[in-house]
Amino acid sequence: MNRDAASHVSGGVLRYQLSTINCQLAVNNAVLDTAVYAETPEGILIELRPAGIVARFYAFSIDFAIRIGIFFLASFVSAGLGMLRLAFLFILMFVLEWFYPVLFELSRWGATPGKQALGLKVVMDNGLPITPAASLTRNLLRFADFLPLMYGFAFVSMLMRKDFKRLGDIAAATLVVHQPLPVPKPAQQDIEPLAPARTLAPQDQAAIIALAARASRLTPERLDELAAIAAPVAGAEGKSGPEVTRRVLAVAQWLLGKR
Amino acid sequence: MRVDAFAIKLRRRGNMEAADLGVRLCQSVARQVYACYLTAALPVIAISLACFELATWLPTLLMWWLKPWLDRTVLFVLSRAAFAQRTTVADLLRAQRHVWWSQLSSTMTIRRLSPWRSFTQPVFQLEGLAAGLRRRRLSQIRAGTTGTGLLITNAYSIIELSLVVALVSLVFWFAPTGMEPDLSALFMNDEETQVELAIAIAYAIVIAGLEPFYVASGFGLYLNRRAELEAWDIEQEFRRAFAR
Repeated sequence: MNRDAASHVSGGVLRYQLSTINCQLAVNNAVLDTAVYAETPEGILIELRPAGIVARFYAFSIDFAIRIGIFFLASFVSAGLGMLRLAFLFILMFVLEWFYPVLFELSRWGATPGKQALGLKVVMDNGLPITPAASLTRNLLRFADFLPLMYGFAFVSMLMRKDFKRLGDIAAATLVVHQPLPVPKPAQQDIEPLAPARTLAPQDQAAIIALAARASRLTPERLDELAAIAAPVAGAEGKSGPEVTRRVLAVAQWLLGKR
Repeated sequence: MRVDAFAIKLRRRGNMEAADLGVRLCQSVARQVYACYLTAALPVIAISLACFELATWLPTLLMWWLKPWLDRTVLFVLSRAAFAQRTTVADLLRAQRHVWWSQLSSTMTIRRLSPWRSFTQPVFQLEGLAAGLRRRRLSQIRAGTTGTGLLITNAYSIIELSLVVALVSLVFWFAPTGMEPDLSALFMNDEETQVELAIAIAYAIVIAGLEPFYVASGFGLYLNRRAELEAWDIEQEFRRAFAR
């Protein structure tokens, strides 16, 4: 599998396990989510999280502002060119309109500055990095998305499709995706680690570690409530309260490798 | 709140992705949403457009003003859909006392002007708290997320405007050569009712189509904020793993 494609899902064991859960659920097709799944030739499912209308609207706005800025700067600087100035500005306008996105999409960031600011990236819809042909196609077809005026078709298409593609994306088989959020790191705490009272599947371990990572941002009551559900791992089935919470968090420390 | 009845995959999402989730939810129950929403919206639109005779700007103003009231119907359907409950027009009519006729004055005045209205609307409509508690609850929900609520409203306002312009432009695309309405008359205060009528109708069409997605985006953001505050995703995993 391509290394770049792998980077959408990688990011530590935890991330891998969580996306495995996602994949299983996707196959069951029981719950609603924005994620779409691409399968590699090796039979591995890659989770892609398409970006919708609000994020893409702002990415476009930022890029538009940058393009306008470059154009004004150029028209200011080119004041001394005389007869050639108009020709220069028209060529610049053409280049900015059609090749500004292509240049950035084919760079190693895979996204224009506007998309980078929003944490977005353009990839092929099978998870591979975008190809030059696809980048050109999706950007030349912005013309179709612009119709009938002011990107009317693009808006309608993004609202009606599950993967939020605009017409250019459909033609080029590309997808604008959210880049994965950083996984919160569980704080190392001064708790005596406690071995779990029963064996835990990888995703159960991940859930307990996730609780430890977010414990500080939950209200104490809510934390106790959650820990009570997981009480069996601390050998305190059916009980609840701060003591149970302390024991569940101690199990999390044990799972993190503290002995 | 029963997390295990929740029909949406709970996972960590950024704020913008939460808005996308709302759009996805709206798509998945589009038939129910539009059946209920249009039940409320079509009479409003018809009455508004009928006011064109009184003043040419009145239909647009009326429709703009009544949007938060229409939003309540959309949110009613979406909030049930989040728990995999189907909603028919009959369900809506049964619940109309709460959905349509409660909180009427604040919906139409102070909350009309709220720049993050779709994000905070669920607190008002769904949580049913008393005024004092509600204020505390709002500040808790809004902390660090109001900005995205504002961005959602702003984005949809501009999209709405773009779509109106796009629709009105069709009049010019399809008008026979030499018969195009004169746009300059709009700005000169002349009698140019054709274009004004076209704008009012285009606005009505855009509201009928776009408003549910705006409400849904705000609702998605609200759900994500609550899931984050209360760690719903962890609860769901725990229930799956330990409640057997």
